[in-house]
Amino acid sequence: MKTMEIRLKVNGESKQWSIAPGDLLLDVLRREGYFGVKRGCERGECGACTVLVNDKAINSCVMFAAQAEGCEVITIEGLARGDELDPVQEAFLDHGAVQCGYCTPGMILNAKALLTRCPHPTEEQVRDLLAGNYCRCTGYRKPVEAVLAAAQAGDRRNKAKKSTRSAGATRP
Amino acid sequence: MNSERSIVGKNVRKVDGIKLVTGRPAFTDDIHIPGMLCGKILPSPHAHARIKRIDTRKAKALPGVHAVLTYKDVPRVPHTTAGQTWPEPSPYDTYLLDSKVRFVGDRVAAVAAESRAIAEEALRLIEVDYEILPAVLDMEHAMDRGAPVIHDEKDSKGIHDASRNLAAYILREIGSTEEGFRESELVIEREFRTQRQQHCPLEPHITISWLDSDNRLVIRSSTQVPYHARRQVAMILQIPVQRVHVIKPRIGGGFGGKQEMLLEDMCGALTLATRRPVKIEYTREEEFYMARSRHPQILRIKMGVKRDGTLMANEMTVLATTGAYGSHADTVQGNTGSKVLPIYRTPNMRFECHVVYTNTPVAGAFRGYGCPQGYFAQESVMDEIAHELGMDPIELRRKNMIRAGDLDQLSAELGEGKKGLPRLIRSCGLPQCLDRGAAAIDWESKRKVGPNGVRPLGERGSPLRRGVGMACSMQGSGIAGIDWASALLKMNEDGSFNLQVGASDVGTGADTVLAQIAAETLGVATDKIIVCSSDTDFTPFDVGAYASSTTIISGGAVKKAAEKVREQILSVASKMLDEPADNLTCRDNQVVTKCECRKSVTIADVALHAMYKEKLQIMDGASHFNTDSPPPFCAQFAEVEVDTETGRIRVLNLVTAVDLGLAINPMQAEGQAEGAVAQSLGYALSEEMMLDDSGRMVNPSFRDYKIFTAKDMPNITTILVETEEPLGPYGAKSIAEVPINAPAPAVANAIYHAIGVRFRKLPIRPEDVLRALREKAGLPHR
Amino acid sequence: MSRLMFDHIEAFYRPSNIPEAFRLLARGAGRARIVAGGTHVAAQADRSIRFLVDITRLGLDYVQQGSKACLIGAGTTLAGLENSPAMLELADGILARAASTSGSVQRRNMATVGGDLANASPASDLATVLLALDALVVVADSRGRRKIPLSDFFSGPHRTALGRALIVEIVVPALPRGGHVGWSFQKLGRTESDISVVSVAAGLQVDLRGCCQWARIALGGVGPTPLRAQSAENRLVGQQWERDVVERACDAVAREVRPITDLRASAEYRREMSLVLARRALAECAARGGCPL
Repeated sequence: MKTMEIRLKVNGESKQWSIAPGDLLLDVLRREGYFGVKRGCERGECGACTVLVNDKAINSCVMFAAQAEGCEVITIEGLARGDELDPVQEAFLDHGAVQCGYCTPGMILNAKALLTRCPHPTEEQVRDLLAGNYCRCTGYRKPVEAVLAAAQAGDRRNKAKKSTRSAGATRP
Repeated sequence: MNSERSIVGKNVRKVDGIKLVTGRPAFTDDIHIPGMLCGKILPSPHAHARIKRIDTRKAKALPGVHAVLTYKDVPRVPHTTAGQTWPEPSPYDTYLLDSKVRFVGDRVAAVAAESRAIAEEALRLIEVDYEILPAVLDMEHAMDRGAPVIHDEKDSKGIHDASRNLAAYILREIGSTEEGFRESELVIEREFRTQRQQHCPLEPHITISWLDSDNRLVIRSSTQVPYHARRQVAMILQIPVQRVHVIKPRIGGGFGGKQEMLLEDMCGALTLATRRPVKIEYTREEEFYMARSRHPQILRIKMGVKRDGTLMANEMTVLATTGAYGSHADTVQGNTGSKVLPIYRTPNMRFECHVVYTNTPVAGAFRGYGCPQGYFAQESVMDEIAHELGMDPIELRRKNMIRAGDLDQLSAELGEGKKGLPRLIRSCGLPQCLDRGAAAIDWESKRKVGPNGVRPLGERGSPLRRGVGMACSMQGSGIAGIDWASALLKMNEDGSFNLQVGASDVGTGADTVLAQIAAETLGVATDKIIVCSSDTDFTPFDVGAYASSTTIISGGAVKKAAEKVREQILSVASKMLDEPADNLTCRDNQVVTKCECRKSVTIADVALHAMYKEKLQIMDGASHFNTDSPPPFCAQFAEVEVDTETGRIRVLNLVTAVDLGLAINPMQAEGQAEGAVAQSLGYALSEEMMLDDSGRMVNPSFRDYKIFTAKDMPNITTILVETEEPLGPYGAKSIAEVPINAPAPAVANAIYHAIGVRFRKLPIRPEDVLRALREKAGLPHR
Repeated sequence: MSRLMFDHIEAFYRPSNIPEAFRLLARGAGRARIVAGGTHVAAQADRSIRFLVDITRLGLDYVQQGSKACLIGAGTTLAGLENSPAMLELADGILARAASTSGSVQRRNMATVGGDLANASPASDLATVLLALDALVVVADSRGRRKIPLSDFFSGPHRTALGRALIVEIVVPALPRGGHVGWSFQKLGRTESDISVVSVAAGLQVDLRGCCQWARIALGGVGPTPLRAQSAENRLVGQQWERDVVERACDAVAREVRPITDLRASAEYRREMSLVLARRALAECAARGGCPL
């Protein structure tokens, strides 16, 4: 079987992997130990395999690993900083938005991507976003609430940072 | 409510929450096992056929193939795949591999190979000559004289009448419905049809098995029923139960589809044949047609009332199909009777049901377990009765509904496949559910518009019509006298505890709820409880996650075990504090005196003292079951908007008011209700497994099997009503299933309110709406 | 879906210019397949493919609004279209809208407009809108480039005039200006996120005296390819913009479509919805153009 090398960044770390040319990104990520990326349908329909590639949420089950060459990939494993959870992760826990957890990594990453480019989404925008993450457990209400709450928490944090800066704080 | 409770009733974060939001390896597939082979099953392309010849030589010769199994290679042990307590009420009509196939997707053979690609290639190399047999696809013809016999094998057991394709037959009567109808002043008789629904767990079925160093068969599986799976695998593979070790990791949803021993036997057989770890993982497509589904039913219901709304007689006659095998055939349909009719105090009730085999995908357990079908029929007719009598639909319910103190006799007649126990209603919050739900949806003002609910929106001539409807339901909490659970609790030297439970958290939050119950009872914080669940070597028995039993039955066992452990803690503390144990109580991670003297010692100190001074391991266990199954009650209200030009139905609001006894974790309880609502709305409006006329499923993908997404969901409101059930830990009953029963009839009733048309077939599709509107207007078909 | 296709792939190429892409495709001798977003290639899993040629590095990702036409690179993602200021302006934003309804966010981040047209789904929302915009497809092969009107591009369900060529650009010519101009895109699915059962893209120009000067009505999901209801359009042009003129045009739409019955909907329903959506689309065009009926 032919192999090829790809070079990419995953969660900020440089990686060089040997893959088969037809390998899908989902399979390679899981093979390399990123178990948080889930297999749900293998047709790009359910969103369980969502990861961020160059800040965009994509379905890794229909992306060829070779296409990730030179890209920055973020999986759920890359979100928390040690014990400190990302605000979206915290919001999901606080709002009971996690039940079985299988769709959760995909939802959280998708939400992260949205909040990065659109810090004040409307409920309709969040629903449109989460329509790409199928969930059979929650009925979507709490995940939508969690994303909106994370947006608000992000606002409060930014305001706090701004006021700290303007007060001449020395810490970044 | 008991204001002294500090943990139970609180929105404690899920104990496995951090693991899940950080994507830690926790699910069945989240491990690398060196040397693991890929197992795959060859599905039958025919709905009904005999295998005349099967030649696996080419497949076996393919490099990388380690085993190819056919019916010739495995023991023939009749069994059921239904995850039920032994002896299972479902017929023993299934075989690991057989020389006959009975539906498109049935097992023909299985391979284990070094990669998925090789396994798939091997399947293609298996040569099979089939003798194609005429198939029975239509349940209405399954019992016809001369219909092909699906189970003509001699060794199956427990089939009611195989020669007529009759898997199960149920007939129960209370009083005399004939007399009841004679005394009625209004009799309505209607027929309803419900479809096949698939669970669509985000994680398809998956099992990994291997032989450990002691040559025991270890099975790591996405299952709701690890203990039943252990017993069944042992029986089928003809090895002792003690040689089988089943582990249930985190599960990506089950909803009843995993209340089944589905892949474990085949996976184990391949491991035994190859001596290697083997993984069988369903693709989404396989999950759709080779797993399980909800029983489709044709329900004829006849209800008789007096003019004042008093129900006199209720007769339900059901024809259901269980597909090619009888998993849960008797019990699901039994529930259609036993959990549906008795919600009203009808003196005369009759339930008759034929459950037939057809050469179609196999039905099994699915959240609600027969109730969604039954309540669709019954609550639709109740709505019709109310309309005929000029009564508010809620008033009609109030007049007839079962109350606290009542005895439900029908349950006595319709136990799980045998005579059951009568059900005493000790707690019933249905009146509050009706009140609070109606208020939440603004029932009074939204109903005022008149029975056809003509409320033009916005401009004149808008094609949109809105309406509201309601329905109510009950379920059970555990199976009386049959479901049971046990728990072990041991204390660690820092005052933490290991809670070992056989209970299966399939995403439902069971681990969290059980931790909360233990913590409350022990007087410690929830984070002091380390939950270890569902490992047949390390956790004691539990029937598994089904029948809404975990909180009440597993929780009951946990509470008992925790009470015993608390006694031991108090006994040690009493020595430490020199106080009699009955003057001590556990609270806030401490043991404190009840009296004013305020002596206390931390739970951690008690632990250290016990371990190193007393040389005592504080630990105990308990088993628990109930002789009754206290029903949770639920009233659901739907507001819909019908586009009379396109037939599209939008659900705008869905209110669920549910009496769950007590919410151990209110946020989790709400989440259960909200997920159930989503599944029920899909059942009402968009989900259907479609089969072509050769019995093949034509929409085995999310593209064409439409479940609700975040964009489809209405505004949901969940109201938790608490009634403190005596049989439940801290008063809890259940909530896992009941909210899935009434949204479909509530939506159908709301549609009637909006456009004056009744739909008696699910799913209600836009084309059906347009056709009905045209008929109503007396227009010709296009 | 079988994983066999992916194990048989021998090489994955990422050419950085179009001539190189053609060389690689030619070398593949019929067993090479273009991949951009991958949403079709990976999902379809064609076992005969041995080589994949990734065209996402050919510089085909752009939207250029000029005075004579709008040029859209075939490698532009649906998300790119959806968020492009030029697209939000063009034709009351109906192309951006069609991009936004073509699947989930994740899918839109990957799928390209060229890939969508090459896939030639009879229900493609993008194709339906582009048809109403009189778009042309620029295809390139080893001999050079040529422009094909989109109306000539589709030959049947999932069949195009592409052959061995590559779609490189979509051209949207300058749209009518002056008087009342309005556009609309209407879509009907089984649920809120669905492949269209029926979709309608319409454009209208009514002069200041109330006479319809120009009309386009395109439909998806009701024929072997997306189609234009030309006889319906002809019933509008030159007529006073009035209710019964519109109704007769909508009736003509219903007669012109050629729907089939499949597992999503019946032919009769699709035919009826063609009329309903056409009527709604024209009403929206008129409202947006400032000449509501």
